[in-house]
Amino acid sequence: MSLEIAPKAAEGRATWILIPLLVFHLALISMQVEDPSGMSLFRKSVLSAGVPILSASAAVWRGAKNTWGHYVWLIGAREENERLRAAVRDLTLREYALGQLRGQNARLLQLLAFKQAAEFRTIGARVIGRVPDFLSGVVFVDRGSDDGVQKNAPVLAGAGIVGRAVVVSRQQTQVQLISNADASVGAMLAASRSPGVLKGTGGLPLRLDYINNTEQVAAGDVVVSSGLDGIYPKGIPIGRVVKAQKGKAVFLDIEVDPFADLLRVEEVLVVLGIDPEVPKQ
Amino acid sequence: MKYLFLALSSVLAIMAQMIAGNNFFIFNFLDLPLILIAYWALYRSRIQALFVGSLTGVLLDAVLGWPLGFNGFGRTLAAYLIGQTAKRFNVEESWIRFVILAVSSCASSLSIFALFALLQRGVNPLFLGASLAQAVITALVGVLIFVAHDSYRQAHSGKAS
Repeated sequence: MSLEIAPKAAEGRATWILIPLLVFHLALISMQVEDPSGMSLFRKSVLSAGVPILSASAAVWRGAKNTWGHYVWLIGAREENERLRAAVRDLTLREYALGQLRGQNARLLQLLAFKQAAEFRTIGARVIGRVPDFLSGVVFVDRGSDDGVQKNAPVLAGAGIVGRAVVVSRQQTQVQLISNADASVGAMLAASRSPGVLKGTGGLPLRLDYINNTEQVAAGDVVVSSGLDGIYPKGIPIGRVVKAQKGKAVFLDIEVDPFADLLRVEEVLVVLGIDPEVPKQ
Repeated sequence: MKYLFLALSSVLAIMAQMIAGNNFFIFNFLDLPLILIAYWALYRSRIQALFVGSLTGVLLDAVLGWPLGFNGFGRTLAAYLIGQTAKRFNVEESWIRFVILAVSSCASSLSIFALFALLQRGVNPLFLGASLAQAVITALVGVLIFVAHDSYRQAHSGKAS
């Protein structure tokens, strides 16, 4: 019995067709069969197969991003850092200047209040220099004869008397502070109206002389100008008594602390005249 | 044209299986699509047999209500086994064809069983026993069909000559 045998195909061809067919059927099954979570096996397989590829690409991208962020981008970050540092320095300086302005504003307001309360004409001036010798008690202000300042013109601060003009030039004036060893001010105790003379000691505190031992003087008593020296107007605050004790003679030894901060005064008022008349020397 | 015949034959095999199995219990143990696959692998093209196996398998899954691909996988594998055996051995003897058909039927059933187990789907314990019975009956009937086919062709070729 003869039998026709099927013609032989090329070697291995059936195997190459078998594998795709089997894979196709497996894919077909996985598309329909779901795992307990409800996800089809096909989707799960695709996602699982894609994880290594996705992980690898994410690692590559992360590496590139880190290289950029830690190196290349830092170039721009450095420049920005320097720019921000410069801005901070500038802002710091501005803040300091603003602080100075605030302090000056406060002092000027105080001075303005003093000026408004006083019955004389004044002009504002700024301390532009000090003699290096601490004990000299001399400062320079930026007002002079061109502004109406005359010799012996009283110089005041918002808190009280500062000194008097001793040398006047056209645009600046040398002011002798009341702490100067050669300075003296006609003064009196505000409470008892006992007159005396406030003298400079070259430093602080000041000394109030010629107050009788019989006077009741206590620490804290206010000392004001008496107007008897013909220079300083009457009633301007000078300072506060810090110590009062009986002296060797008939007068009390009284120490006075000035209201004006003679060491740090920056803005002053120069008295141009009292009741529009300029005081005669 | 041959591919149309391929597809048509696959559909007819499935329909015959369904009709016969519905009316005759014994046909539930007869795998007609497998016999068709063996015919293509032995008498036509081993490559075409693979496609017949895939198509009949998918159609069978659709009929059974299984996820498509179970029987397709198994029948494709069976077609490959039959084709490769026919390429390497002399398959003229009936007992050899009996063995080929039985082994390929078992291989198809085992692959389906393995897929079920892998996908953690429940399998009836009678499945393997029924598969063994199906393998024997299918192989027996297949051999008879091939013998009848060979006799018919020989008789016609003898008349022509």
